[in-house]
Amino acid sequence: MPEIFIDNKRYEYEEPGKVLQFMLDHGLDLPFFCYHPSLSIPANCRQCVVKAGMPVFDRDKGAYEIDEDGNRKIRYFPKLMTACSLDLADGMVIHTHHTDDLVKQAQADNLEFILINHPLDCPICDQAGECPLQILTYKYGPEGSRFEHKKVHKPKAIQLGPRVILDAERCINCTRCTRFTEEISKTNQLSIISRGDKNYPMTAEGEEFDDPYSLNTVDICPVGALTSADFRFKARVWEMNQTPSIDVSNGKGCNTYIWTRDNLVMRITPRFNEAVNDHWMPDAGRLSYREYNENRISKPHIRLDAGNQVKSSWNNAELTFREELEKRSADKIQVIGSPHASVEDNYVLKSSFEKLGVQNFSFVPHVIPGAGDDLLLTDDQAPNTNGVRALGYAATESGKLKKLIDSKKPSMIVILNDDLMGRTDAPPELFEDTFVVYLGTNHNETSKHADLVIPVTSAAEHAASYVNVDGRIQRTFPAKETLYTNRRLNLEMSMGRLDHYGTKFDNWVSDANRIDCIPAWEFFVRISPDSDRPDWQSSRDILDQISGEVPLFRDVSYERMDDENGIQLKLEQDSEVNTV
Amino acid sequence: MSKDWKSYQPHLLPAIKDLHEMPVYEKHGGYKALSTILKDKNNWPPEEVVAEVKEANIRGRGGAGFNAGLKWSFMPEPDGGPRYLACNGDESEPGTFKDRKLFEFNPHLFIEGAIIAAYAMHVDVIYVYIRGEYRPYVKLLDEAIRQAYDKGYLGKNILGSDFSVEMYTHMGAGAYICGEESSLMESLEGKRGYPRVKPPFPAQKGLWGRPTTINNIETLANVPLVINNGASWFKQIGPDSHPGPVLYGISGHVNQPGVYEYPSGMEIMTLINEVAGGVRNGKKLKALIPGGSSTPPVRADVLDGITMDADSLREIGTMMGTAGMVILDEDTDMVDVIWRISHFYHHESCGQCTPCREGTGWLEKTLLKIKNGNGEMRDLDLLLAICNRMEGRTICALADAAAWPVRYSIDRFRDEFESRCKKTVYAVA
Repeated sequence: MPEIFIDNKRYEYEEPGKVLQFMLDHGLDLPFFCYHPSLSIPANCRQCVVKAGMPVFDRDKGAYEIDEDGNRKIRYFPKLMTACSLDLADGMVIHTHHTDDLVKQAQADNLEFILINHPLDCPICDQAGECPLQILTYKYGPEGSRFEHKKVHKPKAIQLGPRVILDAERCINCTRCTRFTEEISKTNQLSIISRGDKNYPMTAEGEEFDDPYSLNTVDICPVGALTSADFRFKARVWEMNQTPSIDVSNGKGCNTYIWTRDNLVMRITPRFNEAVNDHWMPDAGRLSYREYNENRISKPHIRLDAGNQVKSSWNNAELTFREELEKRSADKIQVIGSPHASVEDNYVLKSSFEKLGVQNFSFVPHVIPGAGDDLLLTDDQAPNTNGVRALGYAATESGKLKKLIDSKKPSMIVILNDDLMGRTDAPPELFEDTFVVYLGTNHNETSKHADLVIPVTSAAEHAASYVNVDGRIQRTFPAKETLYTNRRLNLEMSMGRLDHYGTKFDNWVSDANRIDCIPAWEFFVRISPDSDRPDWQSSRDILDQISGEVPLFRDVSYERMDDENGIQLKLEQDSEVNTV
Repeated sequence: MSKDWKSYQPHLLPAIKDLHEMPVYEKHGGYKALSTILKDKNNWPPEEVVAEVKEANIRGRGGAGFNAGLKWSFMPEPDGGPRYLACNGDESEPGTFKDRKLFEFNPHLFIEGAIIAAYAMHVDVIYVYIRGEYRPYVKLLDEAIRQAYDKGYLGKNILGSDFSVEMYTHMGAGAYICGEESSLMESLEGKRGYPRVKPPFPAQKGLWGRPTTINNIETLANVPLVINNGASWFKQIGPDSHPGPVLYGISGHVNQPGVYEYPSGMEIMTLINEVAGGVRNGKKLKALIPGGSSTPPVRADVLDGITMDADSLREIGTMMGTAGMVILDEDTDMVDVIWRISHFYHHESCGQCTPCREGTGWLEKTLLKIKNGNGEMRDLDLLLAICNRMEGRTICALADAAAWPVRYSIDRFRDEFESRCKKTVYAVA
């Protein structure tokens, strides 16, 4: 197997590749700015320089030449090489800053260069705390600067597009953003303009940077040159908790981090998953964080005879629900599951009502044809269409909801978190004669017209799994607390899990902004009769039961999902929407 | 050779009226080399043309001085896909202005050379990249190309053979960096003129990812001479290691600046004193920049017996470059000169690599400080330190080109820099 020597240690490699990526894969440190594993290699920051050499091969003897000490003779390249663009070669010898003073000096020199025209306004810069330039300067940079002249001034606070703001002075011209629009989102909206130390990324004259993936450039910007118009000046990186999660704003299920402070979600950023979203996610998914904070339903609501909704106690809500169930026979109850709710919630909803003899289970796919693209946006607007279908809910296209209600004439409809009255052709009048129970996260048309509203947890508050359009099951973690549950006690935010910064207990606990809601499954456990109450303690127990019952979910568990970063399921139905 | 330079008959720029017109050029042996090859393809297969040019040892006239035939031989075997020849007429370096004379007075010689090069390398399309400021010469070249198409020297089935090639001119937009071969290709592709990382080299992956060779205009103009007269004839012009006619662009403080064609390896003092009519106003010579602003300046006192060829110039620590000689007389302030050169490189750095983007500006600002009389002795050390960390740390050679004049002028004219820094009045030597 071909071998390479890095700082006098021997490594083997199988696939051809570049030295920097090889070092990153093996946990070796080397500073870099412009390199990004998912983008082309421009080698323009010149930060990852190493001393590289090849052993001298004696063709006549068919062996490497040996020096007096019995070591291979190495012929070094005359210049320092950038590791990012240097191909692995058998026998290659690499010296980094650990074993070569020239390399160490070169890295410090390069940082001094980068910093001479950088404004060094870290105290007011949003990137501070997660800034590669800041981190690498502390680690590899020079003690100070010998630059005694005026820095180059460039435009600041330019609104490049609706979501991205540019501070050109901070830019170190790594071209990651322009390469992103060229190679990943393929809109080519950004380009470097001007020349030399005056250059910075900019859109074409009169164009705006409205790429649906524009905020990814903010993530990959190694300095604070590109910042999010939404997030800037809102929170410091070190004040937030970072919880792995998935994007529930469309069907792709991009892997994300949810960043919270005081039980408010401050922002959502992508989390690397090669099988789903690589390093990227659409802007729409990031900006959907507001739904976790704003307009949330807190405390159950009951419609009075006069027609107005009032807040009620949980006891009262449960009582009302039980009474309404007892009033009617099972065939008069229609249960509508939700592609927006998790596998666990949908499962418990169905199994609870099956015990009562209910047979009418359907769900309304949330598909907007043409909304998707071939990157990460999907026509499917819901995160769990495949999951709810696999649990045995019949798909009812949104236009056919009226027909369903007209034909079956249910007197009670239970709707799990899905704004049917808002998004489908089923106006509130259609539900006038029925008792509507809505279990939802946010106030919307449906909650407004429901007779009983039960507030349930959102994807930021519970551990639950979702099956994306490609049949991959992935799960969320509780990122913020609800009023009654302590997420630590709820098992999923386990104490042993190291966070991004390697600490166990850095979660900032606060009583502020907690929502009075419970997981939907918990509500159904509460209302089930005492004699037949399942003893589920967490959604983990529910998924264990599902994996034993539903063939599609065989062998699926939270442990496997965590270890394998999601599990690809073998979908039996084609992903086309079956209609009833 | 330099002894009988007075009897030298120019080949690249012969004194013939209206040589840029097709009938005149044809009358004086024009397109003979091309028709010799195409009419006798058995004797002149492409490999043979490459071998002959390689044997002639035409050292690239664009500055690097690489054997042109050897460069051609790097092109891979044809695989049926397109292959390109890019002709570099972007000469933008201060002190270099030789190619414009070819465009102006003998464009067909270059066109013929380019067609032969295309034949030798199985090239389908020739691009001529010319700096945008040469608008009038682009017109002249376009006219010459049109004439060549009319006569069937360009286009489909040239001179009845099965060899076809197209030729296009492309104007730059005022960036010095686009004269660097890989950024020239980027610019031709319609992109921002950023030099590319090598490898892959242009012969493997050039224009649009296809095999490409980039040659200087003057280099290609030498090709018909080699074919017509043979490699051995070409090699006996000038020194063996650097043969052939050279267009010397002489500028600066001389009485008769201009482009002069003489054999390679002319004695520098002969060129200054006899060809260019001596230093202006009878002043003494102080310094010479031998091949465009990027080549290290040398003191006048080392020039005795030094000739204009790569080997001889290496002895005194400089380079042939493009043979664009800038003569500086004794009144010249070297700090001013170097500051101005630094200003040029600061302005022209493309900004891709950190050391060049930031270093060129830092050099210029520090030199300006010294020039304005605010310099301190430590600034000289700083300048050398900046040069150290720029050289060899970037993708292309612009950082080196920016650092060398500073490094070598501090090295060779340190007294002038020091006197500025010591805030004393600088007495002219």
